[in-house]
Amino acid sequence: MLTITSLQASVEGKEILKGINLTIGKGEIHAIMGPNGSGKSTLASVLAGREDYDVTGGTVTFQGADLLEMSPENRAREGVFLAFQYPVEIPGVSNTNFLKAAVNEVRKHRGQEPMEPKAFLTMMREKMALVEMDQAMVSRSVNEGFSGGEKKRNEIFQMAMLEPKLSILDETDSGLDIDALKIVANGVNKLRSKETSTIVITHYQRLLDYIVPDFVHVLYKGRIVKSGGKELALELEAKGYDWIKDLAQEEVTA
Amino acid sequence: MSEVLNLQEKLVKEFALVEGALNGQAKTPVHAIRKQAMKRFAELGFPTIRHEEWKYTNIMPVVKNDYVLAPQSSTTLTKADIEPFLMPDVKANVLVFVNGAYAANLSTIISTKNVEILPLVEAFTKKTVIVEQHFAQIAAWQNDAMLALNTAFALNGAYIEIAKGAVVEEPFHLLFVNDSRAQSTFAPARNLIVVGANAEATIVESAHTLATGENVGFTNVVSEVVLADNARLHHYKIQNDVEQSHFIGALYAHQEATSVLNTVVVTLSGGIVRNNLSAVLAGKGADTHFYGLYLVNGKTLVDNHTLADHAVAHCTSNELYKGIMDDRSTGVFNGKIMVRADAQKTLAYQSNRNILMSPHATVNTKPQLEIFADDVKCSHGCTAGQLDDESVFYLRARGLDKEQAQALLLYAFAGEITEKIGLEPLRERLETIIAERLHQELV
Repeated sequence: MLTITSLQASVEGKEILKGINLTIGKGEIHAIMGPNGSGKSTLASVLAGREDYDVTGGTVTFQGADLLEMSPENRAREGVFLAFQYPVEIPGVSNTNFLKAAVNEVRKHRGQEPMEPKAFLTMMREKMALVEMDQAMVSRSVNEGFSGGEKKRNEIFQMAMLEPKLSILDETDSGLDIDALKIVANGVNKLRSKETSTIVITHYQRLLDYIVPDFVHVLYKGRIVKSGGKELALELEAKGYDWIKDLAQEEVTA
Repeated sequence: MSEVLNLQEKLVKEFALVEGALNGQAKTPVHAIRKQAMKRFAELGFPTIRHEEWKYTNIMPVVKNDYVLAPQSSTTLTKADIEPFLMPDVKANVLVFVNGAYAANLSTIISTKNVEILPLVEAFTKKTVIVEQHFAQIAAWQNDAMLALNTAFALNGAYIEIAKGAVVEEPFHLLFVNDSRAQSTFAPARNLIVVGANAEATIVESAHTLATGENVGFTNVVSEVVLADNARLHHYKIQNDVEQSHFIGALYAHQEATSVLNTVVVTLSGGIVRNNLSAVLAGKGADTHFYGLYLVNGKTLVDNHTLADHAVAHCTSNELYKGIMDDRSTGVFNGKIMVRADAQKTLAYQSNRNILMSPHATVNTKPQLEIFADDVKCSHGCTAGQLDDESVFYLRARGLDKEQAQALLLYAFAGEITEKIGLEPLRERLETIIAERLHQELV
């Protein structure tokens, strides 16, 4: 699905990612954890194509194609979805119209006809149920006046509508109370399939109680310093990040 | 400078001619005002950028042209010619003025109950009492050259009177056609709109220029509006004229207690466009809403000057003007809130927000607050900037390309104003035009 090789990226001349190597197979869930400032969100942004970041080295191959060569919209159309850490409020644009435009762009890219309005509404209703969104929320402007939890649910709702192949959840758990967290995690789990992959970026282990990863990677100072199974998350939770820092220090000095 | 004097001289001369042709009206109070106004215009001359009120709007390109002055000759226009200027799917009273003169053959009047509709010049004799009470009383022309000029030439235009308690469902479309095909034409017009107590009406005003070659149309429409107690008026001014047109116009309202004025000014194209808008909140509980959208490109200059004048207590004014400027277009916004000493408990809000789409587009925005009362709530603010990058990226990350994302955001930005238009077919039509302008078929 996705192969990241020696990826280096900087923002405003400051190097943030210092050589990331990561391979994500079909149907897998990978958690990327790490202390604040380790580069987690930068990795998500680079994969989604945010323009403030300069890729200074390495490659990213998505389904055999060079991801870094694609515009953000083409990445989305090819099936990369970023659930934003801070979803943007867009007054005046209704969720429905926005999603109709987005879904039809993805379909156009795949050589499909625009969706019939009726089929679109049926699909909306079905996906709304996944994240317990009501009609009133969907009729409103995109994220306008939404609570933190509502915004994150809306991200997962959009993900459900766009049916991506690779979803990147960027700190989707931040600012969520336990009920909202469960709703969001439940939505993600229901969308899981053998054909799709997920990257869960999080600071805390808590989300991983609900979205159980196949692999856990620890990012520190722009490098993946440790990888393991889901038990690594529990270890981090128990021990904190300090031992990882020591580990990284050892590596550098060695 | 000599060119400026030319038009000014021409106007003075024309006035003397028109005056000479007056039969029996020469001694009326209205005529006396018009004569004084002409004298005042001759003294003041056309405003230049040295005048504070015209600092950012140089009208030399407007006045330098060689205009004929609203030729009274009968028009050759047909209903088919004005068809594109009409609102489709709206049952409206359409009053068409060609080069200022009322064109009965092109007009359609469907509301007859509780409504008095007359060319202004007829109202001078048929509605003398009301006219003398209000004409040139709401719009203070004494220190405003453009207004003095319009007052002097106030013969053409509409008189609309809505009877007490009448709710007129059908809107009035005041359609001003400047026919400059044969020669560049200066077409002034003046309206007097009187809305009786508890009455309600909707007025749509638009100006359209027919020009060929180098010809330029110069249209000058001023409306005076009186709202009696609890009256409601919705006034929509739509400006989507050709490049070879200039428009300088104004609306002056006087509001009695608990009356409501809703104004929306939408400017989509034209040459130099100047709109003055002023409401005096003269009765307790009066409420006024000023909304404006200017979505312009090319070299269009659009200047909106507004004044919400709170004269008494417990009144509300709410103002939002938004601009999107591309190419080398210019926007000017000058919004003044005046809260006089007696106007305690005033609520007055004003906001002006601009998006510049091109490095060559400019906006000059100036909010002004003058507050002489101590127990009031007032706020104002203005912004000028580009589209939010994060919003654009968010939409792109969902599959919309950059142009679509920008168009959708701009459409939404403009939508906050167009949604204030209560006349649905008009709103939809404008939204379609705006969507087309933004090259998008998304919504």
